[in-house]
Amino acid sequence: MSSSSEVNSNKIDKRLNNASLIGPFIPFIQQFTRLLVLLFMVTTLLFFMLRLAGDPALVLAGNDASPEQLAAIRAQYGLDKPLVIQYFNYMMNLVQGDFGKSLASGEPAMGKVLTMLPATLLIAGLAMLISIIIAIPLGAWLGFKPERPDRRAVSGIIFIFQGVPGFVTALIFIQVFAVNLRLLPSLGMEWGTIEYINFFADFSIPIPIPSKTWILPSCSLAWFLMPSLTRVVAANTSEAMREDYIRTARAGGASGKSVLWRHALPNALLGAAALIGTQFAFLMGGAVITETIFAWPGIGWLLIESTQTLDFPVVQALAFCIAILVFIVNAITELSFQFLDPRLRSKGN
Amino acid sequence: MINITSESVVEVDNLSLEFLSSAGNLMALKGVSLNIKKGEIVGIVGESGSGKSVTAMNLLQLLPKTKINIPTGSISVLKRNVAEMTEEQLQVLRGAEIAMIFQEPMTALNPVLRVKDQINDILLRHKKISQNEAEEVSIGLLRDMKISDPQRVYESFPHELSGGMRQRVMIAMAFSCSPKLIVADEPTTALDVTVQAQILSLLKERAKKTETSVLLITHDLAVVAQLCDRVYVMYKGEFVEEGETRQVIGSASHPYTKALLNSLPEGKKPKSRLATIEDSLSNNSEELKINNKIISSTNKHKTILEIINGSIEYPKDYNVFGSPISFHKAVDQVTLTLEEGKTFALVGESGCGKTSLANSIVGLNQLSSGEIRYKGRNIKEQTPEVRREIQIVFQDPQSSLDPRWPVWKIMTEPLTVKQNPTSKELRIKASELCEMVGLESQFIDRLPHEFSGGQRQRIAIGRALSVRPKLLVLDEPTSALDVSVQAQILNLLLDLQDEFNLSYFFISHDVAVVKHISDMVAVMYQSKVVEMGEAIEVLTAPKHEYTKTLMSSVPTLDTE
Repeated sequence: MSSSSEVNSNKIDKRLNNASLIGPFIPFIQQFTRLLVLLFMVTTLLFFMLRLAGDPALVLAGNDASPEQLAAIRAQYGLDKPLVIQYFNYMMNLVQGDFGKSLASGEPAMGKVLTMLPATLLIAGLAMLISIIIAIPLGAWLGFKPERPDRRAVSGIIFIFQGVPGFVTALIFIQVFAVNLRLLPSLGMEWGTIEYINFFADFSIPIPIPSKTWILPSCSLAWFLMPSLTRVVAANTSEAMREDYIRTARAGGASGKSVLWRHALPNALLGAAALIGTQFAFLMGGAVITETIFAWPGIGWLLIESTQTLDFPVVQALAFCIAILVFIVNAITELSFQFLDPRLRSKGN
Repeated sequence: MINITSESVVEVDNLSLEFLSSAGNLMALKGVSLNIKKGEIVGIVGESGSGKSVTAMNLLQLLPKTKINIPTGSISVLKRNVAEMTEEQLQVLRGAEIAMIFQEPMTALNPVLRVKDQINDILLRHKKISQNEAEEVSIGLLRDMKISDPQRVYESFPHELSGGMRQRVMIAMAFSCSPKLIVADEPTTALDVTVQAQILSLLKERAKKTETSVLLITHDLAVVAQLCDRVYVMYKGEFVEEGETRQVIGSASHPYTKALLNSLPEGKKPKSRLATIEDSLSNNSEELKINNKIISSTNKHKTILEIINGSIEYPKDYNVFGSPISFHKAVDQVTLTLEEGKTFALVGESGCGKTSLANSIVGLNQLSSGEIRYKGRNIKEQTPEVRREIQIVFQDPQSSLDPRWPVWKIMTEPLTVKQNPTSKELRIKASELCEMVGLESQFIDRLPHEFSGGQRQRIAIGRALSVRPKLLVLDEPTSALDVSVQAQILNLLLDLQDEFNLSYFFISHDVAVVKHISDMVAVMYQSKVVEMGEAIEVLTAPKHEYTKTLMSSVPTLDTE
């Protein structure tokens, strides 16, 4: 495509034709280009920053290793070459899909990350779901008539909850539900089982049965996410309630229920969607504290471990994965804006 | 006029209403009595804060009940005492028997619901009909509103429609359940004149055909003159005058009504001082006469600003790399000349490119082709000191002043661009400026929200005057103001022009104001200047089709 800035009508027509051929894909191409740039920057930045953090050869060989041992290890892992060459080699391998091997265990780095990823996605998804299911109705109720004494009291409690750190809630949950009541397991993670229920002679439906180990981690994480989401929904709802279209709806005879659920809440969800997106993107990095407390084998836990041992390939693979996930979550959030707000739908940009 | 039966639709008797607040209660209505008969169109006219909207909202009981107190009086709508009805009973009444049309079509429709959902909601709520029947009725209603493609509008979201179209939807919603009474609160204030004329005639026609009573709330006496059978004039929570529209406008008896009529630029001598409410109410007629000399305009024909073939384009679509591939022409090949010490007015409806052009004069955006010459040289080649001689005043004094800055700082900010005067010097300068624009100089430490709309516009003008400009670009400076305040600001502008030999580039959609203040006029329509010339000539004997439509759309006080 020509880069000249002059504009004559002929050129515009030509460009328009061009655009209409690939037109529908333009947003995707744009997004994909952005993702590539992002990944390049993340890996490059991290590569050099990690090299500043310490010498992996020292970690591998131990503190009392002789200079000869260190040199041997450096040669084995290619750490003796100049940094720029190391970087170039690393990037060449990366393009071919090779993230290198874990310095600690010798397993492929990316493989290690991918086995841990589902556990993190599970807890993040569950926590987000629980938080949304509670926060949206609660926030709508609070925002509908925020001046009422009962709503004020509840708002106050939620405000206090927002100030309680996540690990405190997690520990209280363990004490109450695992230690005192002995209802739920507090450590480890199991995948749920699938049971087949027979309907007819040879027709059975698989029903996934969630594991009890999911409950405490996801609930304590949801407990941490919920207060801020509730408050945003409440604030947006009470703001929407003051809008002119609410007055129009009331003047048309709409009941209080219809005013809230049909007119105010859909407008209030726009703000909530932004926060849900941010929270979910944050969770993609692994809920480090929650995973550690509940011994949950997710990427947050892996992140701590691999950073402590300066296991560069694993940290790099993790960052790569997290960058992609955050990017996807952000793209979905943006799409959800268009779904929620017709004003954004009609214009592609 | 159709035969009006004696059947009363609204009877409000000696109603008082106060708003409760911790800072002290505010009496909004003081013993108001109102009567509307079947099929009658009744207007309430008054300034902002006079209590007219409160009266309207109260008929539907839309005010928050915990925040108001009604010490005296009764309201009966359709023979029912609405003040004592429960919320559930009122919901049956609202939309079905009493409907309301609101001012801002931009915000009064729900942005996330399609037009069809918003109309059908009301129909399905109040009538026992199926979804399909509701669709049929809705599309029929939209067609009755003279919408040429009702199916498309029916499927649209509000933001996909123009302001006039939205207001038609609003009226369709109001008429959907054939109510007995429609309360229209400033239904055309936010619309262009030409659209306003269409909407008003639509409302009148439909109301007369269905014998629906209408209560019209407006600040515009001319709109009342066009539409209403009877009118109530409201001032500070009281009806000061009521009667047949023709009688009230033709021979007003109350001083306030007279003052209101006098403050309108319509029918007054161009460039004469307009009477303000204060003048008239304090009976300073003698002083008024002295002031009423025609301000002589200097007859030097010296060009101060020229725009030559000016065009402005905005990017519309973008390619993969984010560079624009198609453009929207906001201003198309405009050529005009401003003379020193004169007022050049640019008239046109919203979206025609007036503001884009104004912004390019002060450098807030750039012409994509053509040039602007100031004092004979391309404005880009002039030094910043010379360019500073052009200043701008914006439409909305509410949002164009920084809410956290005291007045002295706002007014003198332009002076701090190059130099570093001490705040003591600036405060002295600010006091001078206050005097110049008719504000009391002891208020310079106050914040913008502590002033009224008219005072805020004075601050904005003072700010523009701080660097001793030669040319002021005035972008709808009086559109957000009440007519009596508008009169004050127009007077101020005329005085300042006389004193400092200022040139004005005056942008407005209000033909009466333009006629009053300007020497030259250019009419802008769809990005182009379609007609230009001496103000009197263009506005009394228009040649272009659009100017003719514009002039015939302007509501006048003439009731015939």
